[in-house]
Amino acid sequence: MDEHDRLELARQRARVAWWRKTRSSGGLERERRAMHQELTAAGQRPDPSIGITRRMFVHRSLLAGAAAGAATYGWFPLINTLDVALAQQPAFKFAWISDNHLYPKTVNTRFVDKTVRAAKEVQAMSPPADFLIHGGDLAQLADPVELDLGNDILKEVKIRKVFIPGEHDWYLDMGAKWTNLFGPPNWTFDHKGVRFVGLDTISRGPDYWTAKKMTPKERMGHMATLDGSVAGAWAGVGRDQLEWLNRTLAPWAKDRPVVIFSHNPLYEYYPPWNFWVRDWREVHEVLKPYTNVTNIHGHTHQVLYNEIGKMRSIGMLATSWTWPYAPEGVPTLTRCKVRVDPGDHFDGVGWSRLTLAAAGKVENEYVMWRKDIFADAPWDSGCADNMNQVLQPRIADRAWPYYGAYK
Amino acid sequence: MKYARYAVMALGVSLVPLALLTITATDRALAHKEKHTPEQLKAFEEVFMEQVRLGDLLFHGDGDTEKQLGVNLSKTGMACAMCHPFGSDNHPYEFPKFQEQINKFATLRDMINWCIEKPNEGVKIDSDSDAMKALEAYIYWSNKGSKLDAGRH
Repeated sequence: MDEHDRLELARQRARVAWWRKTRSSGGLERERRAMHQELTAAGQRPDPSIGITRRMFVHRSLLAGAAAGAATYGWFPLINTLDVALAQQPAFKFAWISDNHLYPKTVNTRFVDKTVRAAKEVQAMSPPADFLIHGGDLAQLADPVELDLGNDILKEVKIRKVFIPGEHDWYLDMGAKWTNLFGPPNWTFDHKGVRFVGLDTISRGPDYWTAKKMTPKERMGHMATLDGSVAGAWAGVGRDQLEWLNRTLAPWAKDRPVVIFSHNPLYEYYPPWNFWVRDWREVHEVLKPYTNVTNIHGHTHQVLYNEIGKMRSIGMLATSWTWPYAPEGVPTLTRCKVRVDPGDHFDGVGWSRLTLAAAGKVENEYVMWRKDIFADAPWDSGCADNMNQVLQPRIADRAWPYYGAYK
Repeated sequence: MKYARYAVMALGVSLVPLALLTITATDRALAHKEKHTPEQLKAFEEVFMEQVRLGDLLFHGDGDTEKQLGVNLSKTGMACAMCHPFGSDNHPYEFPKFQEQINKFATLRDMINWCIEKPNEGVKIDSDSDAMKALEAYIYWSNKGSKLDAGRH
């Protein structure tokens, strides 16, 4: 190890040590609570209709007789069903697909197969969904071949489709192909009494490539490495888009439902893997007056649930593969996904079916392709399984010149 | 008989210092009795960290390093780190243990090879190969400070 590496390693260690020190012993949880109090002024309470229900989605495995699986552990019982006020609007459904990470078919077809399956299942929904939201990372390396492949597969879905980008769709040509296929990366529309907003949380990464004279492929390679550090804190909403969000919501009654789609979670979960947006505090400042906000996000490839202020967040499954839970920062409100069998490509992945019912309820149903979604005991839990784990940051992607897996 | 046993014991006792003297005289380093200099420690660390670096590159799918070591760890475009960022969820501190997927009592090296062969659809590597040692070094280094809990599912 030369002096340069030694210095970089020391810096990385200091950064992670700082992270551990400030976030351990409930530090992050305390900060989240403080944030929650700040956003919820004295005497003000979230809209009671957004309270979390304790009902659970009864999965086929439970119907098949594994009813003991309904037992819960941890702080909260199963939270994958929630209520949102919808006044007297008619019921409707929508579907979420994201994180397909398609390679060209010549590299592998396993991700193609799962994307095809999700598209077919969305199209087969009865009654049909009003629209499909694609939550980003359709491609693995933003290759036009990958994006065209994804676009072709999603043609199976005949209902309305809306798209937001993921970082894997973007950093080869800085979104040229993606926007050509799917339009602007952020947008808003109203549907049956709900204001839907699509946010672009990926395109405002700091320029890490020009000074190092990286090729587009090298730039994309760094972005595609989740535990790489070269791309830095790339996930963000940006001042311009925050102002746009503010203007977009301003005419909307403060107690009417808002659903925000984003690729990344809109809170601080685990920055070393960019499981956040760097300006999440500013996002919450903009959303502060609104009492009924739901954020639905991808990127983390895992079951997540969190509430901060009057906004609740739900993490969606990927169709491609599952990420492990981060070593720190999993929200207390999350009931963790079951441990996944790495030998089964269809385990731990899937899509989501969301129902906004006339009674004013939204139900999120994880459509995971294997029998169990949630763990019933710590030894089966994707979080509790890591009880003895302590992790180091990497060094090799700091060693120059090194461009990771995608030269 | 009794005296014969004493004689053997006396001979044994007298031979021990002689043997020790012979070892220390021929190769003092073998006994590890020298105090270490910071330079030596640095050299030891460099040997280890070079393996960590190689392992990190293999773990993250670096094609050049694979060629250099003559291995093909994946044919799907997937790299180990795509499911194990920061070497997470490897749980090297739990091995050896009964490994469900392999259906046998397994070492970390067995599990590394299973991941190469099954999810990655690559070519299994020799369990004592340089590539295996490098992968093992990276995985252990990534999980440094974890609590040893051998046998845990």
